[in-house]
Amino acid sequence: MFAYAFRRLIYSLPVLVIGSFLLFWSVRTAFDPLAKLRQIRDPEVIIRETQRLGLDQGILVQYWRWLSGFVTGDWGVSSRTSGSVKPMIQSALTVTLELLVWGLLFAFIVAVVLGVWSAVRQYSFSDYALTGISYLGLALPAFWFGLILIQFLAVWPQQLFGWDEPLFFFVGLTSAGEEPTFIDTARHMVLPVLTLTVGLVATWSRFTRASMLDALSSDYVRTARAKGVPRRRVVVSHALRNSWGPLVTVVSIDAALLVGGLLVTEQVFSIPGMGRLFLDSLLAGDAFVLLPWMLITGIAVIVLNLVADIAYGLLDPRVRL
Amino acid sequence: MQLLNIEPNQKSRRPLTAVIALMASATLLLAGCGAGSSESAPSASAVELQQGGTLVIGAEQEPDCMDWIASCAGSIWGSYMAQITTTPFVFNVRKNGEDWVPEISGIMASEPEVSAGPPQTVTYKFNPDAVWSDGTPITSADLKYTALQIRDGEDVLDKTGYSAIEDIATPDAQTAVVTFNTVYAGWKTLFSGSYGLLPSHLLEGKDRAALMADGYTWSGGPWVIESWKKGESITLVPNAGYWGDKPKLDKVVFQFTADTAAAFQAFKSGQLDAIYPSPQLDAIDQINTGIPGARVQVDAASGNLEAIWMNNATPLLKSQAVRQALSYSIDRAAIVERVYGPLGVKSPAQSFYPPSLSAFGGQDFSVYSLDLAKVDSLMTGDGWAKGADGIWAKDGNAANLKITTISGNLRRELMEQVIQEQLKTAGFGLTIENAAAADLFGTILPDGTFDLGLWTLVTTFPDPGLSFAFDSNSIPSDANGFSGLNYSRTDVPGLNEILATVDSSIDAAERLKATQDGDKLLADSATSLPLAGVPNVLLTLEKVGGPTSINPAEGPFWNLEQWGLVK
Amino acid sequence: MAEVTAVAKLPSNGRSKFLQRFIRHRLALLGGLTLLFLFIACFGAPIFAPFPKNQQDLLLGPVPPSFEHLLGTDDLGRDYLTEILYAGQVSLLLALSVALVSTAIGVLVGVLAGYKGGWVDNLFMRITDLFLVVPAIALLALALQGLGRSPFSIVLVLSLIGWTYIARVVRGQVLSLREREFIEAARVIGANDRQIIWKHVLPNLGGVIAVNVALAVASAIIIESTLSFLGFGVQPPQTSWGNMLSQASGLIGTSKVYLLYFPGLFILIAVLAVNFVGDGLRDALDPRSGSGSMQGRKRK
Repeated sequence: MFAYAFRRLIYSLPVLVIGSFLLFWSVRTAFDPLAKLRQIRDPEVIIRETQRLGLDQGILVQYWRWLSGFVTGDWGVSSRTSGSVKPMIQSALTVTLELLVWGLLFAFIVAVVLGVWSAVRQYSFSDYALTGISYLGLALPAFWFGLILIQFLAVWPQQLFGWDEPLFFFVGLTSAGEEPTFIDTARHMVLPVLTLTVGLVATWSRFTRASMLDALSSDYVRTARAKGVPRRRVVVSHALRNSWGPLVTVVSIDAALLVGGLLVTEQVFSIPGMGRLFLDSLLAGDAFVLLPWMLITGIAVIVLNLVADIAYGLLDPRVRL
Repeated sequence: MQLLNIEPNQKSRRPLTAVIALMASATLLLAGCGAGSSESAPSASAVELQQGGTLVIGAEQEPDCMDWIASCAGSIWGSYMAQITTTPFVFNVRKNGEDWVPEISGIMASEPEVSAGPPQTVTYKFNPDAVWSDGTPITSADLKYTALQIRDGEDVLDKTGYSAIEDIATPDAQTAVVTFNTVYAGWKTLFSGSYGLLPSHLLEGKDRAALMADGYTWSGGPWVIESWKKGESITLVPNAGYWGDKPKLDKVVFQFTADTAAAFQAFKSGQLDAIYPSPQLDAIDQINTGIPGARVQVDAASGNLEAIWMNNATPLLKSQAVRQALSYSIDRAAIVERVYGPLGVKSPAQSFYPPSLSAFGGQDFSVYSLDLAKVDSLMTGDGWAKGADGIWAKDGNAANLKITTISGNLRRELMEQVIQEQLKTAGFGLTIENAAAADLFGTILPDGTFDLGLWTLVTTFPDPGLSFAFDSNSIPSDANGFSGLNYSRTDVPGLNEILATVDSSIDAAERLKATQDGDKLLADSATSLPLAGVPNVLLTLEKVGGPTSINPAEGPFWNLEQWGLVK
Repeated sequence: MAEVTAVAKLPSNGRSKFLQRFIRHRLALLGGLTLLFLFIACFGAPIFAPFPKNQQDLLLGPVPPSFEHLLGTDDLGRDYLTEILYAGQVSLLLALSVALVSTAIGVLVGVLAGYKGGWVDNLFMRITDLFLVVPAIALLALALQGLGRSPFSIVLVLSLIGWTYIARVVRGQVLSLREREFIEAARVIGANDRQIIWKHVLPNLGGVIAVNVALAVASAIIIESTLSFLGFGVQPPQTSWGNMLSQASGLIGTSKVYLLYFPGLFILIAVLAVNFVGDGLRDALDPRSGSGSMQGRKRK
């Protein structure tokens, strides 16, 4: 198992190195690290900075300098804030991970519950209703959904019942100026998590449904039923167990999608995570932040995939890694 | 002194130099003296305030850094929130009667003395009672340190004025004598507005940027920065060692809001106690819909003047007749009524002086209203004839133009579409080519690769000088290192002399006459076309009390220490 | 990376399969008709739209839906239905181009990788791995910031990023086709690779390709609107449903909220319709996957 994990990691390395080089090359082509300085139109400053940053060297040399800096923990200085890049990414990543973990948990649990529910009640009204809702979930742009959630779950109920504050908050992840408490954080977390996961819940629940139907019609489950195992137990311990594997795979493939969803969610809900950091840096043409951002998210996605693969192996005894 | 500010997308405070503010989604740069707010708030100061309490204020932008001298400190919101509240200035802009004027602050013992020289010198006398938060007096050494950091620094936001400093003598702790290497009329802008004094005893000989960039714990103002959580909030608490009147509130939190729609909802739901939105259409709609329990202050007498700028150097727009024809093609009244009408701005600006400087200038642009007959006669007279497509043409060249502004500014994008339609009716082709803030500010405007542009002239000091925007020597060129701000490339014979009179004359009547002559000349030659004064808007919940008002130079939070919760 | 195709086909139980298929296909039919209607309405806008394009009425300004203006008017007094129909041209055309181009690239790569195998396969699959690692939206925004935001560059970038999924599916199909008897037979009678691919492999991929085109259209419409919200979509004065929606995002809670609801509704209807069609196609292709399990898998 761990030998497999190790092998996979080693195997991902070239992908990362080549990918990061391509990114480095394209970011360098698209963004001029000296754009801000060029506005001063002082040729001497440009020449000096070009030499200091080594911009006059070949792209490979530059890439090597950057990569070795990255590996040794020197991530450079942001051209937007003049601050060190590493703590920026660290703090953004911490915030984002919190959101991601809750989002993944929520989406996974809800998707499995809904998927199993619909599979067990195939062709019932609730099956069709859930299918219909998941179609809707896939057809909504996330930012639109987020804004509508704010209106319908926070602002309207508050106005309707005349509360002092809305049930769910939608600015940041903690109430400004107060010590964060669990309840407070939870009230901030609900709407962003819903926005982040609407598409995933829709996709995954349909997937669970399909894979449950598959399992329920398998000989293995039929045999269990014939042997008189109660239906509920068959569903949970036989059919569902066999559906985990494919589901985990799908979850791992969607990891990058989830990170992408952060861009919109963090923007709508003013959350200082990786998504916001990316947008701010992109608009400012801050190549020194964009590169490590890409690399870190890339690594995160690879790790997530790996975890999913291992989980697959653990959950589905038929798979030999 | 006057600032044009281009506010590239969300950022750019280019203090006390002329900059141009393309007021985009986020910021209002303002200032000016003059009429003050015409629709000011119901006098909230009459309400009794309680001592203590916390306010949460929504902030549209987050500063990139708090090293106010450095080039990363270009965000006007950074200045509103954390600089004006913590660094002491020599002059503050305060309301005197109806006008906002520079007044010496409490750190000065008396009005600085100017001696014309040559060389020109200014003598500053410090108030011995004024101290930093650690109890160390604010002295001439701080002034010297600050001036030299700006003058000699490498990565400096703006050196205007400071580069004219020859020498600073500090005969004693309370006295500083600044000697200039040239005549510098705008000396009052030094150590005021854009740069406050920095504590030399804490920073001298150390890495200023490292100590300040992520926030600092010292203060010479009523507030101390308690924390700056990146991406999230800036928290201010009262400066316990402040030598003036201390704040009423225990804490003020500026919460960054990334999305305007969500910010308004948060204000409605009470998560934010105050917001200061840029006057975009959706913000105006929200205000018009009515926000229960909120107080809306619309400051129409702002220093912001939005205009349709023409690039006078293009082959087509070189012709005065064509520029005039364009001015007659645009129905400014309809545009202004539609866009700003809901905020109370009903008629177009007829002068290049913003509402806050309405005492100066004339009404000469009022001749330009929609008049297609005039367009026809002007164009025909200039040798143009309409082609089969209804577009004017001359010598095989069609009258096709490009208009530009910052992309993503909904209000301006709509205006562009209206102008496009109106020009089409009049026989001009117009394509819309918007650009990112950095491109517009960094290359397009300095290089002059545009025909028409929409941006806002922002005045930030009580002075009617317009030479930075219209003097032909300010046209961006090699000679001025492309730092000139006459982006419209206005070059009208006789105008430079009139503008120089405005800059230097000390005779009020002569100066007023010169501003009127200047406006008239600009209107007659139709170098560009003013659209409207853009109002500033401050929204507070009713529980917020105090003399809340918008200071055109220092923003809406200039007197935050007097704010409080209503009892 | 786990094989997507390994989980792509999941048989459902046989109970009331007829009923289910019937309903599903009726939905597909409904989706198809809706799409047809949208296409005709949008591209026939010069004929069907109640007002000329971009006809402003500044005095009128924004008015809520009425008999004269079925969907109301926008800030400049333009008839909103008219504007939405014209914007639909851009949205639909953009989505369709993305779907076709990305599918074409994906099929080409997938067929080559699956058919040739060996190092070609390895190389292409490693490339698709690259794309799985970086969040597509981030890559899109990055590319559009660099390339400018014209509809052409949006199509280009979306296609260049969107082809990997179909490439994987096609590769999986080709891998299994390659071992089938009729391919072997063709090879035995001396057909060369190109003939085999054109005559035997591609025709067998028709279903997969059709499904992918449908799903790609749906995801392209959604992604375009998301890009607009982030500021990287179609730029004014050009309009698309996505940018109309994002421009109205600040109007929630105001009397002009209809400007936010209508473009969203059109996006919703179009995406639903395309998804129905996609599912119908998949069912027709492979009755065993009646549950539409992989629906939406393409939203990368």
